[in-house]
Amino acid sequence: MKISLEWLQQFLDLPQDLARLREDLTMAGLVVESVAEVHGAPVFEMEITSNRPDCISYLGIAREIAALYGKRLRRMPAARELHIETERIPYSIAIRDADLCPRYVGLVLDEIRVAPSPLWMQRRLEASGMRPVNNIVDITNYVLLERGHPLHAFDFDLLRGGRIVVGRAHPEQKIVTLDGVERTLDGEMLLINDGAGPVAIAGVMGGQNSEIGATTRRVLIECAYFQPASIRRTSRKLGLSTEASYRFERGADWNGPVAATARCCYLIQKIAGGRIAGSVQDVYPAPLRPVEIELRLARAESLLGVPLTPAFVRDTLKRLNFKPVRKGKGLWQVACPSYRADMELEADLIEEIARFYGYGNIPATIPYSRNTGKPSPVRPYEDTARGILLGLGYYESVNLSFANQEDQRVFPPAGERALEIRNAMTEETQFMRAHLTPGLLRAAKHNFNHNQRFVRLFEIGKTFGRAADGAVLERNLLAILGTGSMAGANWHNSAANYDFFHLKGVVSALLEGMRCAPAEVVPVSDVPWLHPETAAALLVAGKRYGVLGALHPELEERLKLKQTVYVAEIDFQELYAHLFTPVRFEPVARFPGVERDLSFMVSRDVSYAALRKGILGLGVAELAELELTDVYEGNQVPADKVSMTLRIVFRDREGTLTVDRVQGFSDNIRTFLRDHFSAENR
Amino acid sequence: MNFEELRRQFEADLSQTHDLNQVKCVRDKWLSRENGIITGEMKRLRDLPKEERPFFGHAMNQLREFAETKIEEVRAYVVESETRRRKKRIDVTRPGFPYAVGKQHPIRRLQQEIEEVFVSLGFTVFDLPEVERDYYNFEALNMPRNHPARDAQDTFYFDENLLLRTHCSSVQVHSMETLTPPIRAVATGKAYRRDPFDATHSPMFHQVDILVVDEGITMGDLKGTLEVFLKRIFHPDIRMRLRPGFFPFVEPGAEVDISCIFCAGAGCRICKQSGWIEILGAGMVHPKVLRMSGIDDARYSGFAWGMGIDRVAILKYGVDDIRLFFENDLRFLTQF
Repeated sequence: MKISLEWLQQFLDLPQDLARLREDLTMAGLVVESVAEVHGAPVFEMEITSNRPDCISYLGIAREIAALYGKRLRRMPAARELHIETERIPYSIAIRDADLCPRYVGLVLDEIRVAPSPLWMQRRLEASGMRPVNNIVDITNYVLLERGHPLHAFDFDLLRGGRIVVGRAHPEQKIVTLDGVERTLDGEMLLINDGAGPVAIAGVMGGQNSEIGATTRRVLIECAYFQPASIRRTSRKLGLSTEASYRFERGADWNGPVAATARCCYLIQKIAGGRIAGSVQDVYPAPLRPVEIELRLARAESLLGVPLTPAFVRDTLKRLNFKPVRKGKGLWQVACPSYRADMELEADLIEEIARFYGYGNIPATIPYSRNTGKPSPVRPYEDTARGILLGLGYYESVNLSFANQEDQRVFPPAGERALEIRNAMTEETQFMRAHLTPGLLRAAKHNFNHNQRFVRLFEIGKTFGRAADGAVLERNLLAILGTGSMAGANWHNSAANYDFFHLKGVVSALLEGMRCAPAEVVPVSDVPWLHPETAAALLVAGKRYGVLGALHPELEERLKLKQTVYVAEIDFQELYAHLFTPVRFEPVARFPGVERDLSFMVSRDVSYAALRKGILGLGVAELAELELTDVYEGNQVPADKVSMTLRIVFRDREGTLTVDRVQGFSDNIRTFLRDHFSAENR
Repeated sequence: MNFEELRRQFEADLSQTHDLNQVKCVRDKWLSRENGIITGEMKRLRDLPKEERPFFGHAMNQLREFAETKIEEVRAYVVESETRRRKKRIDVTRPGFPYAVGKQHPIRRLQQEIEEVFVSLGFTVFDLPEVERDYYNFEALNMPRNHPARDAQDTFYFDENLLLRTHCSSVQVHSMETLTPPIRAVATGKAYRRDPFDATHSPMFHQVDILVVDEGITMGDLKGTLEVFLKRIFHPDIRMRLRPGFFPFVEPGAEVDISCIFCAGAGCRICKQSGWIEILGAGMVHPKVLRMSGIDDARYSGFAWGMGIDRVAILKYGVDDIRLFFENDLRFLTQF
């Protein structure tokens, strides 16, 4: 809210030092965001928290300053008498739904002359961010800003039947509001009706049909207290927020309508020449009582951690217009001002005590801890995986958790429905992501666009879906992306094009570093976003925990990546159960091993995994290590063949192996490879 | 046979060697199986009278061992000096082998640091869902439907009761439901609000929220614990101030400022000349919040606070646009 100091000074003399005033207000919880100058006078831009509707006004800010500095407020002139002997214009007010409108005050004036308001008023309105309209509208706005209580002026001649009826709207009832928009209401919205139909949406905006105009001669001033939640609901539902609704929904002063009406009446009489024609009517079926709260000195002391004197507590409350009644030693029954909509519990009063004690004066203490710290159970998994991947040269990325329609189509949620956001902002935030790969691809693409084509990224993060029964599934996944070439970029010429086996190597290193149970990588063809010839699944104990491969060429084309991108996505959370397998120490071999290289040629249809599995299945206890050290698929071998070299290390735990035994082992393996895989020696 | 003479001759021969070939020649001359001098002398052993054999044998063995050791020493020396001669000087200023090393994402690093600070202070870290029920995100935190404070947190909904958490304050409710006091709980992670992207807003951001509930917890304890935390996360010299603020789940509530880390409180563009930067919201747990989660508010009190991790990263590293955190540009990531 904009607070013009020229206007504020009507209520009390302000300190000369504005910087100090600004600081003091800020430290009392009324933040002065900035200071501007309008019409040559300083204007504070103030941020009022939603619990302090009483401070969305000059009077409210003035009350706080008076309490801070122990000053008294000057009273603003108001009409002393709102009744007249003989009613010249009879009218009636009826509240049908008192739960939504506990109080409604009306007053009718005639002999109004609508004209521009005086310059001083226009300037004050402008300094406060409001546009002057005409004297009647300006006066209601002026009182709204001054006292924080919204008022509305109807052209009385446009009110049919001289009646006001406050009640819930009919479902689908329509009204054209002052802004010219036709609005459709529901049965929970409160309407102000005249004898024939709606003339205003209560506490939100008046109707066009009863608007003050140049020819208006008689007005009905409305000043009511509406139930905050109801106004808020209506305002939200209609998407219509006004100065009035802003205050009513936070809680206006239920004891304020008559005073605001009197002030408004005074200004109209003075500025627009009005005369009271119909006495004030205060329809208030069930008068509200001030909130009373019990306050214990001991509780305030123990919550704030400071010693307090009864005198300080009492004085603070009185400065703020609370009425403390002593009930015993260090015990008060406190009646709260009607404008303090935020008062409900003892803690609310203690905050007032703390505000005036000064948050800065509370000494910092360290509480004794009876707890032992416990890290998140996911930490060891995430931190270890992250450490390994960082060490291997992959950068950690954080991508948005959102997905668009296209993502969901290309990367369908696995065995579940997509989790759709009901009130998305844009198409890009329509869904929650079901996979991490789309985000990593976007990141890679971003880097390609900036001419960084050697990209290695990973992400650990949540993905989302809905199970068949509607339950939301939230899982922690891990995804890795690699692409590009480093060849020529360094004098060692140490890295060639990133390929599938780089990616597989990273996945293997990750699993090895996390002591994963034995895993295998098998070819698959059911992953829609992967290249059908370069797609694999990661199996642990026969169950699938992830996929890896090259991006599908069509997708690569559509995303205009212009280079092959490799991606792996692992259902990390599900894999936890297979990680960090217990350590069982095996004595380190004392005898040297003997190395033998076996070179042979087999059909391309024979997989390395099959060869390896077969050799290990021979049951040669002395076979200690088996590595694939060379693969050749060039001109020197037939097109349907591949040449491989295996390096096998034989070792006997009990002694040194003789040349003859080693020869026997390798002969056995050669024979096996020839018989089962038609391997030809090279 | 004069052993001393033999040894002298052997040493003289060896001293003439300059390369591996010459060493081999000396070795052949003296130790070769067929016609080495020492080998020959050893063969004469059996021709000697029985009583001379032990002495002669012992002496010859010593000589042989001596010769073998010396030849090996000279050979090793020659090998080394030859290698040294052959090898050219390398340019040690060229870059080392290009081992790659990745970098942890700055927000994740902060998140980890923050969790570690809290674990060291006795907090239990909760790993909570990002898709949360309205009750845990709002209702149980004293923000019933139609509460004005919900305005400030424009929320993504999946249905009436299911939403994307707008903060990690749900840790308050979850921890009070599952633990009995004394409670020290913390949750970090992603949170979401319907804010369009700009330099200071993102619909997805990161948050840390904490809760302490015990007997006799005071606002002084809130200040003390906060100070420890902020000094550890920012800098030991950082100053902090609390001023009244409003969050529905605390009462009294506080806004917490730290002395501007760019100008040390002197006033600059970042802190709008005030010397202070608003960093988090805090307060004493609202009695209603305690009660709603089944904690006796007459016996227990507590404090809570919530802070944006991205904001800390922005301030700590001087990043000028929150979007950079989620673009994953390598030119950005390599800097951390």
